[in-house]
Amino acid sequence: MITLDAKIPDGPLEKKWSRHKKEMKLVAPNNRRKYEIIIVGTGLAGGAAAASMAEMGYKVKSFCIQDSARRAHSIAAQGGINAAKNYPNDGDSVWRLFYDTIKGGDYRSREANVYRLAEVSNNIIDQAVAQGVPFAREYSGLLANRSFGGAQVSRTFYARGQTGQQLLLGAYQAMMRQVELGRIEYYTRHEMFEVVLIDGKARGIITRDLVTGEICQHEADAVILATGGYGNVFYLSTNAKNSNVTAAWRAHKKGALFANPSFVQVHPTCIPVSGDYQSKLTLMSESLRNDGRVWVPRKKGDDRHPNDIPEDERLYYLEEKYPSFGNLVPRDVASRNAKLVCDRGLGIGGTGLAVYLDFRDAIAHDGKDVISAKYGNLFDMYANIAGEDPYTRPMRIFPAVHYTMGGLWVDYNLMTNIPGLFAAGEANFSDHGANRLGASALMQGLSDGYFVLPSTIGNYLADLKPDTRYGTDHEAFDIAAKKAQETIDRLLNINGKRTIIDFHRTLGRIVWDKIGISRTKEGLKEAIADIRSLRDEFWTNVYVPGEKNNYNKYLEFAGRVADFFELAELMAMDALNRNESCGCHLREEFQTEEGEAIRNDKDYSYVSAWEFKNRNGVLEEALHKEELNFEFVELKQRSYK
Amino acid sequence: MPTIIKALKSQVGRKLMTGITGIALMLFLVVHLAGNYAIFASAEAFNIYTKKLESLGILLYMAEAGLLFFVLYHSYLGISIWLGKRKARAVGYEVYKSRGGASRQNVASRSMILSGFTILVFLVVHIWSFKFGETEMIMYAGGEPMRDLRQLVIDSFTIWYIALGYIVVLSLIMLHLFHGAWSAFTSLGVTNKSNTQAFKLGAYIFTILLMLGFIFIPIYIFATGGMGSLIAY
Amino acid sequence: MSTNMTIYLRYWRQSGPKAKGYFEDRTLSTVNEHMSFLEMLDVLNEELQLEGKEPVEFDYDCREGICGSCNLVINGQAHGPKKGTACCQLHMRNYSDGDHITIEPPRASAFPVIKDLVVDRSAFDRIIEAGGYVSVKTGSAQDANAIPIQKNDADLAFDYAACIGCGACVAACPNASASLFTSAKISHLSHLPQGNVERSNRVLAMVEQMEGEGFGDCSNFGECEAVCPKEISIAAIADMRRDYARAVIQG
Ligand SMILES: Cc1cc2nc3c(=O)[nH]c(=O)nc-3n(C[C@H](O)[C@H](O)[C@H](O)COP(=O)(O)OP(=O)(O)OC[C@H]3O[C@@H](n4cnc5c(N)ncnc54)[C@H](O)[C@@H]3O)c2cc1C
Ligand code: HEM
Ligand code: SF4
Ligand code: FES
Repeated sequence: MITLDAKIPDGPLEKKWSRHKKEMKLVAPNNRRKYEIIIVGTGLAGGAAAASMAEMGYKVKSFCIQDSARRAHSIAAQGGINAAKNYPNDGDSVWRLFYDTIKGGDYRSREANVYRLAEVSNNIIDQAVAQGVPFAREYSGLLANRSFGGAQVSRTFYARGQTGQQLLLGAYQAMMRQVELGRIEYYTRHEMFEVVLIDGKARGIITRDLVTGEICQHEADAVILATGGYGNVFYLSTNAKNSNVTAAWRAHKKGALFANPSFVQVHPTCIPVSGDYQSKLTLMSESLRNDGRVWVPRKKGDDRHPNDIPEDERLYYLEEKYPSFGNLVPRDVASRNAKLVCDRGLGIGGTGLAVYLDFRDAIAHDGKDVISAKYGNLFDMYANIAGEDPYTRPMRIFPAVHYTMGGLWVDYNLMTNIPGLFAAGEANFSDHGANRLGASALMQGLSDGYFVLPSTIGNYLADLKPDTRYGTDHEAFDIAAKKAQETIDRLLNINGKRTIIDFHRTLGRIVWDKIGISRTKEGLKEAIADIRSLRDEFWTNVYVPGEKNNYNKYLEFAGRVADFFELAELMAMDALNRNESCGCHLREEFQTEEGEAIRNDKDYSYVSAWEFKNRNGVLEEALHKEELNFEFVELKQRSYK
Repeated sequence: MPTIIKALKSQVGRKLMTGITGIALMLFLVVHLAGNYAIFASAEAFNIYTKKLESLGILLYMAEAGLLFFVLYHSYLGISIWLGKRKARAVGYEVYKSRGGASRQNVASRSMILSGFTILVFLVVHIWSFKFGETEMIMYAGGEPMRDLRQLVIDSFTIWYIALGYIVVLSLIMLHLFHGAWSAFTSLGVTNKSNTQAFKLGAYIFTILLMLGFIFIPIYIFATGGMGSLIAY
Repeated sequence: MSTNMTIYLRYWRQSGPKAKGYFEDRTLSTVNEHMSFLEMLDVLNEELQLEGKEPVEFDYDCREGICGSCNLVINGQAHGPKKGTACCQLHMRNYSDGDHITIEPPRASAFPVIKDLVVDRSAFDRIIEAGGYVSVKTGSAQDANAIPIQKNDADLAFDYAACIGCGACVAACPNASASLFTSAKISHLSHLPQGNVERSNRVLAMVEQMEGEGFGDCSNFGECEAVCPKEISIAAIADMRRDYARAVIQG
């Protein structure tokens, strides 16, 4: 029987973390090298954790799918990272950052976790600068800040449009230093398949060497999953192609609870799909909405050149519907309305899945130079990808899946319900509730990796006897390895007629249409049925090429798609369970007539944590609820009218 | 810390030395050119200049040894860099094309080894004929007998194939320096984002002036059959 | 809207590190101008699989020009013909109907082929390992604004820090030199006060590692700068040499 204990320390909000740090057990420095820690993932969370723990003296084994730790998906984050430094002196504080984050998450996250995040945010910036991260600076030589995602204060630190890259390289370099010192065993092009449990504790993992195909067994005292988000369940997303849920999902199937799987963030300003061959979506900064006006033609199938469509035949749907916020409504509202107009058949372009973002008026008003100074890079990027000049023709944009708030359930120490199994970064569910604020994922990943895990892991390890090894010939390793091997063999032996990408794309469409921007009870039920039948077809009709004992990217994908099928079903179940609209989760049944979300704090102020039971044709999961208590903030409804 | 020897053997050390020896050789060429123009100064000047050089004795030998060392060291570096290519890329491309733009790949940079090698062969011939070759002796009023190198120069360059040969070789040196004169400063870490264009331009101007200077002599002598009015008699 | 193009592809096949490689030819007749170059290869792979053949392996992840995974040599040019563009951001509208395209893996002894167009670039990791970092303990940093840094220096450091580690510089260099990659990291760190302290050790160690990995010498061809998707200047290489000389002389 699972009891959910978030292990939130007592005391006033501001004291919880510092007191907890004082009270946690420590591992003596000379004992640390007797403990081995496996860290799966080298993104901001995993990279930072590996570097910090190795430096503390633990023996670390680090794994990633890419050929180098530096290529983890975190590299792609553009906008920036929040911190409560208050350098601009505009009234920011730890409290305000905490408050904005908890409110932004629509009150579906833990106060204590979010407060800690805000608290360590400042140390992250210090650490990054010391590592040589070239953040933007003012002429004074001091760090520059900008305001991001509608925040009222300027608290976002950035490095041109490559903040994630620079932060990740900082963590990566710190990590490589430890590799050189022999404190990290570094495994690239390795994919984790299974967590190995011995006596109920996480004791190791099974990986596949992606170059040789070898199934490998690795033992440790604790396992940390920092394997990123699962946005690729939608097939098309802004995530990197190798982003996946496999590590988290396989842990889930071993007993780790999966929390809030239906909380998925959609970003409103991405470059739209141009055809079936499309492999991913590219994000453009939402700052574009500061000057661009969003519209579609009022007439269905109006295929005139946009500039030839007269003003009164244009539907500026955001401005009409939300007169006070206009084009600057929050991400989810903008996304949802784009989908609505396209569902009504007003979408533009060859696919009908796009809306215009028009700079005509801004250019007429401010001049081309001003607009180009503000958005030059973005315009160039758009021109390169879309092949159209946004200065003379409105941009085409469409929402795309961007971030997954859900993930493995963890307590305050970032440990899952399986002792010794931790989850960090986007892979856990911890800090963003039902919606994530811009520039706070980088903050969370680094907070988890640099500051939280290195403290909390000691608390767990201190209770283990040092140098305890069961040996990888222990039966638990054998069973897990066999299971991994069986899945691979099974996939390779199906020899069907449809390609993996074909299945993934079809799955993505179901998930996008029915578990995407807005959801209905009927739609979700259909989704579950559709997913099941597609999954059944997958297991009988997929074609997986190549051999198992060689580099075989499609085999990798096949395994990941298989897990996405199961996750998708759970997402639908979770969305179906949550009879309210909150954050990014919009159930059409639960909105006002004007389309405003109706949150139900009385019945749904909890984290839904799902326990895997069985998958035999249908996915069986048990729901556990972690009630959220708000002691320090008052719950408010959002309004943007 | 690496010892100096280890540093000199390293990739970057070798490249620094290519630059240093390259610049030293360029400086030598400047001095050499200045000397050559003695041929236009007065009837005696050229021979007296060469005689003066020879009379420096041990100093000249040291300078010559130094020069020889630079040439050999430079050639050794150049050749070993060139040989290293094969090792660093054992399997080549079926199709290879320069991207242009910021690339400095051109006839000059790609043929450094060829131009360099030709220079090496030429140097042997050149030194052979002017330093150890047979020359008539001449005596100026009140002086001792000396080699009439001036006449040798004039005689040689009135023969078309010698003049042409020199011009060809000098053009190859020019080609060598079109890349080399800029490259050497980049090897020494002197160039940066803002001055590299200036260095490139400077390198072209320097090279062209230097080579026009050298080439002018054989052309002039050949064109005037050795009787040109600029040559002082 | 857009019509299909026919593209004649010729790409490298090699079943493993030790296997003998060869070129395979194939005509793709459903290429759309809006496809990215890698999406065209996806389409090729779908076709191959539907015929029960093995797809062509190539590296990628972000497809946004930032992770540095992709590194194809297209018609003899690393990342293809477009300036400042990684091949995942290259679009087929840069080609025309009937074009012939040869795709090769980056060729360098230090980048052995793993399969088809995928190579092993772990040498780059080892170069960074040798010294491409600032030795600062987690949690021991002083306030981020304690040391002001001139905006120009910070911007210059950024220009070098932008390297995505793709290896195009090596692929395009006639000598297969890794000087641009190595010096970009050295210059990034040495332009900042935080990185300045370990400057000497860093340059000596990284240069030694670079050579030990089997990369070639640099002849200042500048081809690396021309193909670099981040357009990193070879001024970085000049910096590296000056730093190296200084480190050696100061002993
Ligand atoms: C385009 C884009 C822009 C963004 N911009 C911002 C921004 O401006 N600000 C912000 O705060 N956030 C932003 N985000 C969100 C943020 O980038 C991510 O949430 C964050 O980087 C996730 O970091 P991570 O360490 O958790 O995981 P990742 O960086 O995704 O790393 C996952 C790691 O796990 C490894 N891995 C995964 N599965 C396995 C397996 N089975 N076996 C072995 N290894 C595995 C991978 O190899 C990788 O190393 C953006 C996201 C996107 C997509
Ligand atoms: C008068 C004689 C010469 C002069 C003035 C000269 C000058 C130069 C200069 C300035 C450079 C650029 C150095 C650099 O990039 O750092 C260079 C490079 C080179 N030189 Fe010479 N050189 C001379 C003779 C030779 C000879 C005899 C060889 C024999 C092979 C040679 C082979 C090369 C090669 C191969 C390079 C290119 C090195 C590289 O690829 O990095 N040079 N030379
Ligand atoms: S220097 Fe440029 S070409 Fe070389 S690895 Fe870095 S980004 Fe790629
Ligand atoms: S795939 Fe990431 S840079 Fe091209």
